[in-house]
Amino acid sequence: MEMIRTTSDLTFQDFLRYPALRVEEGEFAFVTGRSGAGKSTYLRLLNGSIPADPGCIFYRGIPLEEYQILPYRRQVLLVPQAVYLIPGTILDNFHFYYDARRQQRIDGERAAEFLRRCCLDFPVDTSCDTLSGGERQRVFLAIFLSLATDVILLDEPTAALDEATARQVLANIKEYCKGQGLTALCVCHSPKLVETFADRVMEMGGAQ
Amino acid sequence: MNGIIQLQIGQFLLIYLLLLVVLVVMRVCRIDQTRLLVVSSMKMTVQLILAGLILTYIFEHPHPLFVVAYLGAMTGFSIHRVLSKNRDLNPRFRLVTGVSIAGAGLCVLAYFVALVVGEGLFNPQYVIPIGGMVMGNTMTGVSLGVKTFRESIHDQRSKIEALVCVGASAEDILLPFVRQALETAMLPTLNSMVGMGIVSLPGMMTGQILAGTLPMTSILYQIAIMIAICTAVTCACFGTLYFGSKTLYDKKRQIIQL
Repeated sequence: MEMIRTTSDLTFQDFLRYPALRVEEGEFAFVTGRSGAGKSTYLRLLNGSIPADPGCIFYRGIPLEEYQILPYRRQVLLVPQAVYLIPGTILDNFHFYYDARRQQRIDGERAAEFLRRCCLDFPVDTSCDTLSGGERQRVFLAIFLSLATDVILLDEPTAALDEATARQVLANIKEYCKGQGLTALCVCHSPKLVETFADRVMEMGGAQ
Repeated sequence: MNGIIQLQIGQFLLIYLLLLVVLVVMRVCRIDQTRLLVVSSMKMTVQLILAGLILTYIFEHPHPLFVVAYLGAMTGFSIHRVLSKNRDLNPRFRLVTGVSIAGAGLCVLAYFVALVVGEGLFNPQYVIPIGGMVMGNTMTGVSLGVKTFRESIHDQRSKIEALVCVGASAEDILLPFVRQALETAMLPTLNSMVGMGIVSLPGMMTGQILAGTLPMTSILYQIAIMIAICTAVTCACFGTLYFGSKTLYDKKRQIIQL
């Protein structure tokens, strides 16, 4: 079944134009293209945090505008590239994002499970202030992964990781997505990773 | 109590010599603001002389229209100063700022003059100086509040983006920024109350005492003006930031435009 489809006139502020694209349910798809091609912007258009003009985004065959936007963003969850963690422990950060959604908090054990999926073997009461950039990115990723319900949009989730860790993290995420029936769309710069994990690759041309 | 000693022009000019001391310090410390010092002291002199002339005229020919015009000019100037320091606010945010400053400042002023002092709303001797103090402080407070709000939002873009992505509402996301900026804007006023009477004898009280008013009367005025200022700053800032923050997104699409 078609999960996400965008029309061929999809444009953001006159300078980013996109070809028509579609992602099927349960796929692990990748978006590639040179820097500045508008890949991150594309993901933001998909979760409705910036407006498309003109162009249309269909989710499960229905235009985005017909959804209530906040529940929609929870279903089509974007993991942004810029990591934001509050000062405090890893579990505090899980709580921070669950509270922001007014959602029942996750318990420590479940949180630790998601950390392990992101190749982090830390106790959940570890302070985030002492973590490295790559570790913080994975904590951030683990929190968002635990929140995903239908679609997860990943904006360079492995940018701060070395090749081997990136490979392992992506393998775990893909396994989790397949298990949960999640659809994933991932922006990635590494051709090797794309080749290994992609069910579908969508190339972006950039500014025209 | 004695009336105040009139300053003689010749002696009065001696005060300008102190500026030379400031100049020397600036030279020694290589603070490159000589021009600003000269310009600002000249502007102050000219503006105050003009204000003095206008006030003399208004006091001799009291008319509600003059009072309204003076208040209008003061309010307009305050709003203009806040907006010119925050040029990239959207038009609706600018409107909200103007309405909040004028609304809060003028209401508090009316309450003060009509109810607390018990004078007519168009008595220039009360309305103009008290209005000046209320408006001036409101301007500084709102300026600080809006600046803090914009800067913290700018510094925490990644926080805003992350919260938008998890599906938090724009209102929930922006409210903490409003709260924090409001607190920052209120603190100087609150702190000045704490030190008042110990660290400094405030300007208005000093003025009244110099003019021969009994100290107990002048402290009552001082207490009243401080509370009035605190209220005006708080209300104007709250209005500006709370309703201003709502101009940054639309409810349906929940897209935050900073």
